[in-house]
Amino acid sequence: MVGEREITIEPITRIEGHLGVHAKLDTDARKISDAYAYSPMFRGFEIILVGREPSEAVMITQRSCGVCPVPHALSSVIACDQAYGVTPPPMGVTLRDFVHGAEQLYDSEIGVINLEGPDYSEVAIKKFNTGWWEEAQNKKAERSGVHGFATIADIMTALNPLAGELYLRSLLVQKTAHNMATIFGAKHPHVHSFVPGGIAKINLSVSDIESYLTLLMRNVAFAKELVAASDDLLDFVLAQGYEDVGAREKNLYSVGAYDDPEAYSANYGEMTDWARKRMVSPGVILNGELVTTDLIEQNVGVREFIGRGWYSDQWQQEVETDPAGNKVALEHPWNKRTLPKPGEYAKWDSKYTWVTSPRWWNWKGDGKNHVVELGPLARMWVTAKAGIVPASTGNSLKFELPAALIPGFKCADKMDFEWKIPAKPNAIERVRARAYYNAYSACCMLEKVMKALDLMKAGKTKVWTRYEKPEEGIGVGMVEAMRGSCQHWCVMKKGVIYNYQYQAPTTWNASGRDPDENPGPYEEALINSPITETGDAAGWKGIDIVRTIRSFDPCLGCAVSVHIGKKIVKHELLPFATPL
Amino acid sequence: MSLEEINLIWLEGQDCAGCTISIKQASNPTLIDILTGAIPGLGGLKLAFHPTLMFEWGEDAAKVLIDAMEGKYDPFVLILEGAIPDEGKAGEGVFCGIADYEGKLLKLSDVIDGLAKRCAAAVAIGTCASYGGIPHGNPNPTGAKGLLDYLGRDWTGGLGLPVICVPGCPPRPDNMVQVLGQAVLAARGLAPLPELDEWHRPVALFGSTMHELCPICGFYAEGTDAHGFGETGCLGALGCKGIISHCNNTTWVDGYGGCTGTGVPCFGCTEPEFPDPPTSPFFAKAPAMPFIIENITGMLAHAEMGFERFKPIIESLLPQIPEFIEVLDKQMEEEKDKGRKI
Ligand code: SF4
Ligand code: SF4
Ligand code: SF4
Repeated sequence: MVGEREITIEPITRIEGHLGVHAKLDTDARKISDAYAYSPMFRGFEIILVGREPSEAVMITQRSCGVCPVPHALSSVIACDQAYGVTPPPMGVTLRDFVHGAEQLYDSEIGVINLEGPDYSEVAIKKFNTGWWEEAQNKKAERSGVHGFATIADIMTALNPLAGELYLRSLLVQKTAHNMATIFGAKHPHVHSFVPGGIAKINLSVSDIESYLTLLMRNVAFAKELVAASDDLLDFVLAQGYEDVGAREKNLYSVGAYDDPEAYSANYGEMTDWARKRMVSPGVILNGELVTTDLIEQNVGVREFIGRGWYSDQWQQEVETDPAGNKVALEHPWNKRTLPKPGEYAKWDSKYTWVTSPRWWNWKGDGKNHVVELGPLARMWVTAKAGIVPASTGNSLKFELPAALIPGFKCADKMDFEWKIPAKPNAIERVRARAYYNAYSACCMLEKVMKALDLMKAGKTKVWTRYEKPEEGIGVGMVEAMRGSCQHWCVMKKGVIYNYQYQAPTTWNASGRDPDENPGPYEEALINSPITETGDAAGWKGIDIVRTIRSFDPCLGCAVSVHIGKKIVKHELLPFATPL
Repeated sequence: MSLEEINLIWLEGQDCAGCTISIKQASNPTLIDILTGAIPGLGGLKLAFHPTLMFEWGEDAAKVLIDAMEGKYDPFVLILEGAIPDEGKAGEGVFCGIADYEGKLLKLSDVIDGLAKRCAAAVAIGTCASYGGIPHGNPNPTGAKGLLDYLGRDWTGGLGLPVICVPGCPPRPDNMVQVLGQAVLAARGLAPLPELDEWHRPVALFGSTMHELCPICGFYAEGTDAHGFGETGCLGALGCKGIISHCNNTTWVDGYGGCTGTGVPCFGCTEPEFPDPPTSPFFAKAPAMPFIIENITGMLAHAEMGFERFKPIIESLLPQIPEFIEVLDKQMEEEKDKGRKI
């Protein structure tokens, strides 16, 4: 058919994991007409976990993603706290959050500059959006006083892989954030110190906190440049007709992060209260309206459908209600089981991925299952709208970062930030929200450092609560990872794991069609998205597709693939005879 | 083979990218130093393929693998992160596809088969790639194994070296850059080849156990045990497997962190059995035998150490002993005489 082309992109590089996209392009209308996101890798973590101590899940589940291990550790250890019935002392909660916050800093720096940045670099623009370069050279950068680049083109040059100034400096700054995480995590990635009841840290001293703060200030200084440069660059790209690239409806989901150490408890019934005290708010937005900020309601509403995943759905209802007495669905992860059933590659009308299809069931409202997007854009949006934290104004988040004169960084002054809720979720706003989340996390960690010093002064230096492990228990841990909510569910019987299920943020975002045939968030964002790539359609590489996918900052623990073909291609498995 | 320019082809199999995230933290040298050619002797390295870092995507990326199998990237070092599943177990499906080229899915195992035939050397980065790691945890749902098993212990690359393993989950940042660096320096005749142990780990880095290098081993020596997290003392009673783990994580990088020094029992993440026994259950005590042996040999060795330390004093005293005894005898006689007198 004239004007139509199929494209498969695999590997989608510069993401964590194995991800592919198969898309149909309408080359006349310059639009993506259909899209399938898929993951071709499987390791079977949930199967490996059965029969082990729940506390081992804290170490093992982190290994599903080396880019964002800490949210796995944290969600897992919260699920264990609940299953074991042990609440950590305030210092234990604070130190866990120190590690979490540090990871968010490195992760957003790498995400914005080193993974997504190259798509907007001079190299990419000259190759894929040839018309933009001249304009970028003439366009003065409004915030050059903060980041030091005179024009938009200068920012683009600074993003060139392995050569640009921002690209290289970001690689150096992110090292300091890893160092922050290792002070209390022992190593990173895959921190080994999170244990039910608190954290394994000996000889805690004010010096540890001072080291953390010193490294944090480097990230504070860099956050100013990161946000200013991102704002200038992204405003420019938006003005090039990028409003609708990667756009989707305002259906957003956040579980919140950064706990109030005195409020946090292992009691499931109190989760609504302590989760609302988080510095990043939980909540669900459907069609632009905030429908809840109740984390218990959110948990009960989680349903994981097999959808187009290579699994069987033959499992039983074993958990009837949550500890608060709410009825739990058959598809809730406390009941769901992992039953792999590998199938053929590239059967787009049947099963095509190793990713399941989680949906949020609005059980107190319209009773429907909703396709929701997770990530920094979702949680900034929810937090700005919820009006719970001091920074939240109802339509923006306002905060400041203090002055810091540090050699090698360009802005020594204090800086005010305001992240405003954008017109719609799209590729550009996802990247911008990631940059602002970096600054907001730095701000939250500064507050936590003060809190930790207060606890030290008050002599509250205990990091772990002793417990007697029960035989049976159930728990859920929910916390925001960089790219969205990370959620773990544990059912313990006879002191070991009876069923363990967890969802990485990307499980939601990269999910395929659900039983109602609704595409997942990546697929939604791609379908109907305009194509700006210059040159002959037959040679398109899919820059708009990869920009959209990377705006979600995927981490699959396995790469997804998108294939760009000249015609409709038949997929077959290749028993690869080596072409020697 | 001219080795002025060497390509690095870094594949990710059943991995988590944690090893990549770790190598980005390396300090001596940094990843930037290596890739920009700032270190004399280590210049001319090009990262031709790396799923998490490379600019290209889709077919352009897949093409690199196809071309490398055809020899267009010679000479190259094959680096693997992540385990290799047994695709035979996936039936008509796939456990690990890494690229799609002209509508065909390239499976990890097929690409490794192709590249192993012509690579100059092969390095397994991390415990997954070395020995199977987390994916091969019981019951090993995908039949995962490491490169050492997959290619075999007798396999050698173009430079005549067997598979080199850098275990750890992930390995310490500097361990990775330094092993890769030494391999390149050795290939260029600038440094000796790394000596490998039975598990193909460089002895210089993995020849000692964590217990031997442990920053808090003094507490073990004096017999102070921790019985709860956060308590200062040897972590043996909390499940530390340092005594059976070959690791040098005294600090993670730049002097920060490190497992036992922070207060975290070692879980043996560098070991071929990880995450199965004897490295797990993570919070169960390590097998007693190594401790018993260490205690007995330790007592003997301490006695010997004591003897060594006091040897000069004992020896310097020796010639005087007969004289000393004479004096004693004399004194005793005198005392006796005194007594008689009384
Ligand atoms: S060895 Fe550990 S860090 Fe490396 S890929 Fe495997 S699970 Fe990830
Ligand atoms: S048992 Fe562990 S904590 Fe104790 S000395 Fe050995 S390595 Fe260190
Ligand atoms: S000390 Fe043990 S747990 Fe820590 S990195 Fe080394 S082997 Fe792994």
